[in-house]
Amino acid sequence: MKTNKKILQGTLGLGLIACMVAFQGCKKSWLDVNPAGNQSATQFWKTQNDATQAVDAMYANLHEWSNIAFASIAVESMGSDDVNKGSRADDATFMNDFHNFSANSGEGQISDFWGGEYKTINFANQVLDNVPNINMDASLKGRYLAEAKFIRAWCYFRLVRAFGDVPLRLHVPKGASEYNIPRTPKAQVWTAIETDLTDAAAVLPQTYSGTDVGRITKGAALALHAKAAMYQTLTNKAKWNDVLTYTNQVMALGYTLFPNYEQMFRTNNKNNSESIFEIQCMLVPNNPDASNSQYSQVQGVDGSTGGGWGFNVPSASLAAAYEVGDPRRDATIIFRGETTPEGDVIPTSGGNSTMYNQKSYVPFSLYVSGFNEGCQQNKICLRYADVLLMNAEANNELGNTAAALASLELVRARARAGNNAILHPVTTTDQTALRTAIWNERHIELAMEFDRYFDVIRQGRAAALFGARGWKAGKNEVWPLPQNEIDLSAGTLTQNPGY
Amino acid sequence: MKRIFTISGLVLLCSFFFTYAYAQNITLKGKVTDATTGESLIGVSITVKGTATGTQTDANGVFSLAVPSNGTLMFSYLGYTNQEVAVNGKNTINVKLLAKSNELQQVVVIGYGTQRKIDNTGAVSTVKGADISKQPDANPVSALQGKVAGVTITNNGTPGSAPIISIRGLGTVYGNVSPLYVVDGVWYDDITFLNSNDIENVTILKDASSTAIFGVRGANGVVLITTKKGVKGKPNINYSGYVGFQAATNQPKMATASEYAQAINETVAYGNNLATSPDDIKPPIFDNPASFGKGTDWYGQILRNAFTTSHQVSLSGGTEKSTYDYSFGYLDQDGLVRNNNYQRFTVHLSNEFKPLSILSIGYNANGVYSYSKDAPGGIFHQLYAASPTLPVFYNDGKYGDPTDYGTGSGNNFNPEVTLDYNNHRTVDHRFTGDVHAELKIIKGLKFRTSFGGDLGQLEARGFTPLYAATVAQTTTTTNLNIEHTETKNWIWENTLTYDFQYKDHKLTALLGYSAQNYRTYQIVANGNGVPYVKSGNLYDSYPQGDTTVTRIRNATDQIHNRTLSQFARINYSYKNRYLLNASIRRDGASQFYPNPYGWFPSIGGGWVISNESFMKDQHVFDNLKLRASWGRIGNSGVPINPSVQTVAADPYLTAIFGNPQVARQGASINTIVPPTTGWEVSNSTDFGIEGAILHNKLSFEADYYNRKTEDAIFAIPVLASIGTNSGNLIGNQATIQNKGFEILITWKDKIGSDFGYSLSGNIGVNNNKVLTVLSGKNPIYAGGNGIANGNLATRTVVGEPIGEFYGYKVTGVFQTQAQVDGSPQKGTNTQPGDFIYQDTNHDGSIDSKDRVVIGNPNPKITYGFNTSFTYKQFDLALDMQGVADVDVYNANIGFRFGGENFTQDFYEHRWHGEGTSNTYPSTNVGANNNSKPNSFFVESGAYFRVRNAQLGYTFPGLSLKKYGIQRLRVYANAQNAINIFGYKGFTPEIGGAALSRGIDTEVYPLFATYNLGVNVTF
Repeated sequence: MKTNKKILQGTLGLGLIACMVAFQGCKKSWLDVNPAGNQSATQFWKTQNDATQAVDAMYANLHEWSNIAFASIAVESMGSDDVNKGSRADDATFMNDFHNFSANSGEGQISDFWGGEYKTINFANQVLDNVPNINMDASLKGRYLAEAKFIRAWCYFRLVRAFGDVPLRLHVPKGASEYNIPRTPKAQVWTAIETDLTDAAAVLPQTYSGTDVGRITKGAALALHAKAAMYQTLTNKAKWNDVLTYTNQVMALGYTLFPNYEQMFRTNNKNNSESIFEIQCMLVPNNPDASNSQYSQVQGVDGSTGGGWGFNVPSASLAAAYEVGDPRRDATIIFRGETTPEGDVIPTSGGNSTMYNQKSYVPFSLYVSGFNEGCQQNKICLRYADVLLMNAEANNELGNTAAALASLELVRARARAGNNAILHPVTTTDQTALRTAIWNERHIELAMEFDRYFDVIRQGRAAALFGARGWKAGKNEVWPLPQNEIDLSAGTLTQNPGY
Repeated sequence: MKRIFTISGLVLLCSFFFTYAYAQNITLKGKVTDATTGESLIGVSITVKGTATGTQTDANGVFSLAVPSNGTLMFSYLGYTNQEVAVNGKNTINVKLLAKSNELQQVVVIGYGTQRKIDNTGAVSTVKGADISKQPDANPVSALQGKVAGVTITNNGTPGSAPIISIRGLGTVYGNVSPLYVVDGVWYDDITFLNSNDIENVTILKDASSTAIFGVRGANGVVLITTKKGVKGKPNINYSGYVGFQAATNQPKMATASEYAQAINETVAYGNNLATSPDDIKPPIFDNPASFGKGTDWYGQILRNAFTTSHQVSLSGGTEKSTYDYSFGYLDQDGLVRNNNYQRFTVHLSNEFKPLSILSIGYNANGVYSYSKDAPGGIFHQLYAASPTLPVFYNDGKYGDPTDYGTGSGNNFNPEVTLDYNNHRTVDHRFTGDVHAELKIIKGLKFRTSFGGDLGQLEARGFTPLYAATVAQTTTTTNLNIEHTETKNWIWENTLTYDFQYKDHKLTALLGYSAQNYRTYQIVANGNGVPYVKSGNLYDSYPQGDTTVTRIRNATDQIHNRTLSQFARINYSYKNRYLLNASIRRDGASQFYPNPYGWFPSIGGGWVISNESFMKDQHVFDNLKLRASWGRIGNSGVPINPSVQTVAADPYLTAIFGNPQVARQGASINTIVPPTTGWEVSNSTDFGIEGAILHNKLSFEADYYNRKTEDAIFAIPVLASIGTNSGNLIGNQATIQNKGFEILITWKDKIGSDFGYSLSGNIGVNNNKVLTVLSGKNPIYAGGNGIANGNLATRTVVGEPIGEFYGYKVTGVFQTQAQVDGSPQKGTNTQPGDFIYQDTNHDGSIDSKDRVVIGNPNPKITYGFNTSFTYKQFDLALDMQGVADVDVYNANIGFRFGGENFTQDFYEHRWHGEGTSNTYPSTNVGANNNSKPNSFFVESGAYFRVRNAQLGYTFPGLSLKKYGIQRLRVYANAQNAINIFGYKGFTPEIGGAALSRGIDTEVYPLFATYNLGVNVTF
């Protein structure tokens, strides 16, 4: 018994020491635990697949809430004369602040918009900083970098329109010293945008096939370049030459206007012959989190199953702006009480508005419960008609009246859809009258496509058209910077004048 | 080895035959109680003088022993004066033991051992298991409310959910803010698996010198729980059970249908005033508001008096060589929401064996299975918001459809539909416990090893059927969603303890080594078009090859951490007067790899003045002790290493390409991380005084503490232009201070021989303050939950409490348009009936620069008053508890998307024309201007409550003998029956994350519980 006890004690004692030694011996590695469920960043940026995933993430962010939904409506649409807030009078009343220009720097939509664009820029910069070091297919690498440059340019285009001077980040910050940077004058931001687009257009293919359809094309880079140039013409008339150059290049790429204006926006005509840059969305089966586009939902018909929230609705002044018989009116606006071409009956009561955006409309039958209504809807950001109208405007500004009329007529002819009783060709050769005609055409053709508000500002007509609602020259060309951002910069960032 | 096995196999058998082994003598029975309080004393050792024969009292203070009829019994119990009683042929001997004149011999549970209370130099509070099980509560933590100074408990009424507990204020912002629970030596983050009846003792360690020994997780306090163990003696069978119900109480009244219709018409009119185009002008929604009458009472429709029942049976006992305690518990608790039900089965098994005089081995095992039919998410907000004009059903039996009334986006639902088509179940399997062995190596030197673990499997399943109830509540496909979470934690601890006594020196030394592994992972699967399956099982519901379902690996809820620690402690006392406790712990946590180690020392000293020779002749103090302690404790309660940058691959990063379209999961980097992150460290000092006067009738304890959390792991906001997803940078970046004091005073006395009572009051005062933030003066804004338009309602900034409410100061309500036009709010969509905000910076406009501090959600004062009275066979307990000097943000008022109902209070006091109110706004309160965080929404969160009122009756022992019953007690109990508060919401007890605490968005209504219970021992 005594021996047993000793042996037991000895064994336990030795065992304890052995265990402690064993743990001590391997303690370093034992405490080095991989982050569970997440890949460590140090293992990323190694393979072609990593590059592909990073590029995909960048595209994916384009259909995220702050890039495509409320913030975009507030900043890029509510100021225009084409829309009203919609929904109930007491729902999301902050949208009114964008419609009557009382929005201040504390508005959630302002910081949402700002943050949303910079998140996408980060994803582009991640690609541009890290993919060059990956050993992979050289031509694919070149294309990925070009796609990232376009996306970055697209975000800065939206930022510079909305805020003027903005911090220009062309790299992922390397450390704390690069976090807080001042605003870059907008002229330099425009230059950076144009540089990216020039680089991108030189590399990107004209078309894609199969599983790559929907990626950024050369045409997209050129079309955005034209638009970026056009937005600088108010202060620099010479930029019209660039607009002309790039639109002409796009027109040589084989785009054609989609024959049916109304059907162009339906889900079965995604990436059609007219589409130049389209944010790709779908209902990913069993994965509502991935099917996160709320672009259609927030504008959808309220009070109907499969509709939506009924914001950003067409205004009476838009409905009245159409020429008599223009089929685009009915294709742009869902009127309460109508039956849509897809057979959805919009009941006369049950919703809050009399009109809704038809360009974001997805037939109710496609609704799947548990998903956002209309999450299948792509958002068309650039299309050929826009390019033609930019081309017409550039030609008119540069004195090429005939070419201007020809481009304009292409757009009107498609709208006419063979009905020669309506939308007669514009024939004026007076530069001013033609300019007005082209502006009116842009208004109608691109209505409810988030173009109108900033288009009127760049035309220099905002005070005249929006002044009654409170728009003031010298202030409202841009929105205020988010107050939080200014606070966080501890004085490095300055506020726009008047805010 | 063989011998151990034999013993374990025969435990039950042995215990049943125990009495027969000694049957040749007369069998003596009796009960041992405290002479002052009349409480039963458990574990009193009873021996026959001059022999080795003996036993201990059981859980009810009862003993039974075979003795020679002329023998003498010796009763001894730690902390009490020994007593000898001659048997003299009696069959029954009841003994009242007198507590020693001071608390000299009382023992408290501390980390890795026990200690004489007198030797302790820390702030330690003990609650007996009996006091917890006395108050029927599904979760033992709830029962602690009001019992311990400095401990704040916020109950959440959802059946099966854990309350939020904070000890001495909020010291941590990011990561785990709750204290560490140590159950029988095993570490847990929550103890929902424990049945209150299985608890022997709860000890709360509050100061650093007590918690430093738990360095790695001690910073937010430690709750030590010892579960019941068998006691030497004959088998004891105990049944305890109760039935009762819960009912909503202190519910604010909602507006009636007529009032609602009127309010909504007013709201639409205000909206029309803001419309910028004639298109946005809307006609009134209700033609004749008065015609609607009372309408639907949605709370009455959906809520009910919820039935609860609980049964627990336990068997315990033991011999010299082994003891056992087995119990089985069943709880069936209905929720206040119809169909909401929680069922829980608990098993507790504990055995201790002594195969050799030097070796004891044992285990504790707890199993829990729970099945919850969950209430639909958001149902309480729906009850609040639903339109009273909406009938539950139309006359034709169809559901009332809000679309038919056009009342809007904010209440486009019929709560009855939400409830009827809700099918969400949560099933939890959890197995916890430990095996341990203790070896006496030489006299005074013990080695103990214990291996404990926590194996859990939680499966939550939601099924959405196909239905078309209303326009908004219609599904086009079925949906099945399953979340499967697995927990696999283990902890292995080895300690050497050496007890040494020489003359007046008493020393206990401890050396320890510990390794821990924590692992939790989760899988989420989701499928459309799945037929209904009854089982909540991932494998049955989603058979192999099922293509309708995607399995999504959810990365965010994965945890894998390890800890490796060494620790040492000495407890030294000289002449029972001078005390010194010191400990040091070195912890390595994988979260801080590659610099995982931190050193955590503590020291405490005490002076027992009452034991000094110069105090010998005084008669004022029976006990008087001064103590002080300092310690440094770590907190590794962060889920992952904040310095490790990870790749984001969330579902939202899914890109779509191709014709036909295909989804492709993207991945990239959307965070920034600090170069390194180290331990969050808490430095605390505590000064305490304890004493007792008037023959121990009055005892008191007071503590002052100052706890400074340094290098607090904290998220600070970074510029949005960096493009991170969270907008935050997490790292060591703040110092937070919690400073305060606690006082506990207890009076215990007896009047005559039949009436005994005790009165005990405690109060804790805490001040919370942020001392430094790395971001300097830049505040951290948070608290966006329940606030519209991205507005944030809390601010955390240097010099102020964590998460204080921050917003505009309301100075009145605009009465006329002329008044608006003459104010800084002109041209900001402001109209009469809207709030007038203070132009703090006098710049003539109202913007975010005008915001000021509008409230503090950190409770400053918590207090409790606990009383117990015994008169003959009756016992009565009244426990009261409250919180004072705290604010609540009532977000429900302003969080409106259109059409939500109002409380009757708001309706009656609302502005509705010049001169009607200068405090309440119009029904336009949800508009952008009015819903911004402002002082109107901040109310006092102070409350006083009669937490527990209980009346019990214990049947006289002799009358029950013939039924074989040793003890029978019946009781009636009411919890939360009386609540007093001024808050206009449902309950001022609001939890929330550290930076957004106290924001009332959707809360379970306060409820009172009424139970009838019985306790029988056979």
